[in-house]
Amino acid sequence: MVVTWRAAALMGLGVVPVLLLPADGTVLVWSAVVVLAGVADVVLAASPRRVAVQRRVPGSVRLRSEATSELVVRNASGRRLRAVVRDAWGPSAGAGPGRGSTERVRPASGGAGRHHVDLPDGEAARLPTTLVPTRRGDRTAGGVTIRSLGPLGLAGRQVTLPVPGRLRVLPEFASRKHLPSRLARLREMDGRAAVQIRGEGTEFDSLREYVVGDDVRSIDWRATARRREVVVRTWRPERDRRVLIVLDTGRTSAARVGAADSTGAPRLDASIEAALLLAALAGHAGDRVELVAFDRTVRSRVVGAAGPRLMPAMAESLATVEPVLLETDWPGVVAQVRTRMTQRALVVLLTTLDPAAVENGLLPVVDQLARDHTVVVASVADEEVAGLRSGRDTVAEVYDAAAAARGDLERTAVTTMLRRYGADVVEALPDDLAPRLADEYLALKAAGRL
Amino acid sequence: MTSQPAPAPPAPTPPASLSATQGGAGPADDAPVVIGDDTTGRSRAASRWRRMRWPLTVLVVVALLVVFLAVVRPPTSAAPYAPDNPEQGGGMAVAEVLKDQGVRITHVTTVSEAVSAAGPDSTLLVTPNPSFFADDQISALNRTGADLVVLNPDFGMIGGVSRNTLDSTYGETDAPVAPQCDDPTARAAGDLALRPGLTDTSTAEDGVRPVLCWPDGLGAYAYARLDFPDRSVTVVTDPAVLRNGTVLEEGNAALALRMLGHHEDLVWLVPNPMDVSTGDDEPTPAERGQVNELMPPGSAPVALVVVLAAVLLTLWRVRRMGPLVVENLPVLVRSAEATRGRARLYRAARARGHAAAGLRASTADRIATRLGLARSSDANTVVDAVVAATHRPSQQVADLLYGPPPADDAALAELARRLDILESEVHRP
Repeated sequence: MVVTWRAAALMGLGVVPVLLLPADGTVLVWSAVVVLAGVADVVLAASPRRVAVQRRVPGSVRLRSEATSELVVRNASGRRLRAVVRDAWGPSAGAGPGRGSTERVRPASGGAGRHHVDLPDGEAARLPTTLVPTRRGDRTAGGVTIRSLGPLGLAGRQVTLPVPGRLRVLPEFASRKHLPSRLARLREMDGRAAVQIRGEGTEFDSLREYVVGDDVRSIDWRATARRREVVVRTWRPERDRRVLIVLDTGRTSAARVGAADSTGAPRLDASIEAALLLAALAGHAGDRVELVAFDRTVRSRVVGAAGPRLMPAMAESLATVEPVLLETDWPGVVAQVRTRMTQRALVVLLTTLDPAAVENGLLPVVDQLARDHTVVVASVADEEVAGLRSGRDTVAEVYDAAAAARGDLERTAVTTMLRRYGADVVEALPDDLAPRLADEYLALKAAGRL
Repeated sequence: MTSQPAPAPPAPTPPASLSATQGGAGPADDAPVVIGDDTTGRSRAASRWRRMRWPLTVLVVVALLVVFLAVVRPPTSAAPYAPDNPEQGGGMAVAEVLKDQGVRITHVTTVSEAVSAAGPDSTLLVTPNPSFFADDQISALNRTGADLVVLNPDFGMIGGVSRNTLDSTYGETDAPVAPQCDDPTARAAGDLALRPGLTDTSTAEDGVRPVLCWPDGLGAYAYARLDFPDRSVTVVTDPAVLRNGTVLEEGNAALALRMLGHHEDLVWLVPNPMDVSTGDDEPTPAERGQVNELMPPGSAPVALVVVLAAVLLTLWRVRRMGPLVVENLPVLVRSAEATRGRARLYRAARARGHAAAGLRASTADRIATRLGLARSSDANTVVDAVVAATHRPSQQVADLLYGPPPADDAALAELARRLDILESEVHRP
């Protein structure tokens, strides 16, 4: 049972007869008229429980891009359906008002995802609602509410149907804009290695005829002896190296970073951006990429995906990774790496250089990793702290700057310790981390340290 | 590697594998079709009943309890000196004893009610007024013909009821004293510790002279009785004689009962401070419950219509378009909180030395890095390098980087500023 503003307006119109015939009886009669009209409206309204509803949602969408949730409403009530239909989504699904006005369907006011529907018996309509999700992960839809009004529009019936709907919101991968330049650098390394560079960082590619300008040290004398012409060996960057990205989803990844006047985004989101760019780059360089999201247990994993299947698998498995408010189990991380990687590999730890957490967690175990693998520790720095560092205007700001300076010193100390144990450290602001990590990867590859 | 100028190749398009994450799968056409919510009218009624039965039960029980209490317990009030107030400051004890003795008590709160209830052969008790009576109210009370008993009256009331034969004064008491007068009521009560506050101002021409009892020895009395030809007026300056809490002390009860029990009818006026009635004015339409007479004709039905329309408007707005959708909220803790918290700790503890050491070490670290010094360089090496780079006096640089902690906050701010300047002067060698 619902009433509309029309019922109130009809009741209000009763002022006219009451002024003409001022008596309590007039009020009674008018109220009876309004009640009767309302009851008739409810009885004559199409039953919302005899409307077939189907919700069509795309399987997945990238963060902050647009998807459309579509309700297919078919009127099987035997009466004309005049209704407001609400396609309910949570706030972070970013539902906009209904779209597309037709004879049967037009957007309704009062909130996101509402549609006026006017359907004769047996007909169906599509009600599109635009979704621009603002958070990663699975966005689950609420029910579909149908408010079916009678022919007078005074009153009607309302029901909320449990229509399932789920939209998986994939990471934004905004760092993909850095990919073309990094791929260009990768190709460039390729060519340079073939002509002049020799030694570490390259592996044997093929033999070809000597041309003037080639390094005489790369002449393959044994092959030359077998043939008439002088033959040189060519080199290319190593391929088929293994890259393991370990994403720390422990408590430090939940902290928000960003400018002081924004709500910021969790550290984890910046780490995910960096992981995606690195995976895309390494995948193109021909390395085998694996990913583990870990805090005290494995939250997500990508294994054995290569070529075109790699990035969808990465996006899919990173979509639902959320920070967990637990301390990361670093010995567990080492065990994971040991079981996954039997031969030398590049292990990228996407975590936070929080001095206290690192001293108790990562430092004691990093040498075990660095003994067998190349280790890169990548950390998201905070823009707000960087801002605090330079504050000098008030005494409070000077104290803030002093605290930030202390934090820097401690972080520097931890970084030094990590480097001493043989790990490389990359620390950058959220937007810079992905390209910096990609550059680090390219540098390692060029140096042949993979 | 990073600084290498990259010969720009034709901008490569992002590989196809990435675009797979963009669109995702198309709309799922095989999504389930839902018709109805698997309920019938009967099942909905049943679930509504199941949901409502406990709240309803509680409501019914509470309602029954209220009715039961209202029937079983006599109504009481909390107004001071009221005959139905059982608290310390009430007058229920005296009222109940009087009722048992056959006195009919009429509890009134306005002068006009008192005037209409009181008459000859009745007693009119006026308990202390939190406000004050107007002159016409006092004369209205005088005209009733009833014997008047006035407790703790104000200055105007004393003069009014005694025809100016009494006046208020200031007195104190610390121990019970004898009445020291001829009044039979007073003598029956015996020794009392009443606060005195009356003085005799009567002259021979007044005709009636007050009988004053319980003096404090300085000319102030606690009790006065005037016997006019048609009625008597009793004034007691201490209302403790009536209060439940003090009525049992000494002879308070005897005094109260004898004062109020002269006649079978007792009108008990507990004045309402907002009351301005005098008993002989016309009641206003509002007092007669006839607001309608002041309104234009037909306004009541119109108001009813408007109220009903407002009720419908409320019903329209109150019904939500389906339930709210639950959303798991993320953690909202800023990473900089730790740094800010540490700064507040420094500040609260006035740890200027600590803060200055942090700023100095951080500056020295950056300068050392810029000048290519090893991280393990000692203070002298750093100072020498800075002196060489900036041509500042050695002592000044050493003071800045390794000097004593600042004395106050201003010195700390100054130190931070000077460290900034020093750092800006150091350039790569």
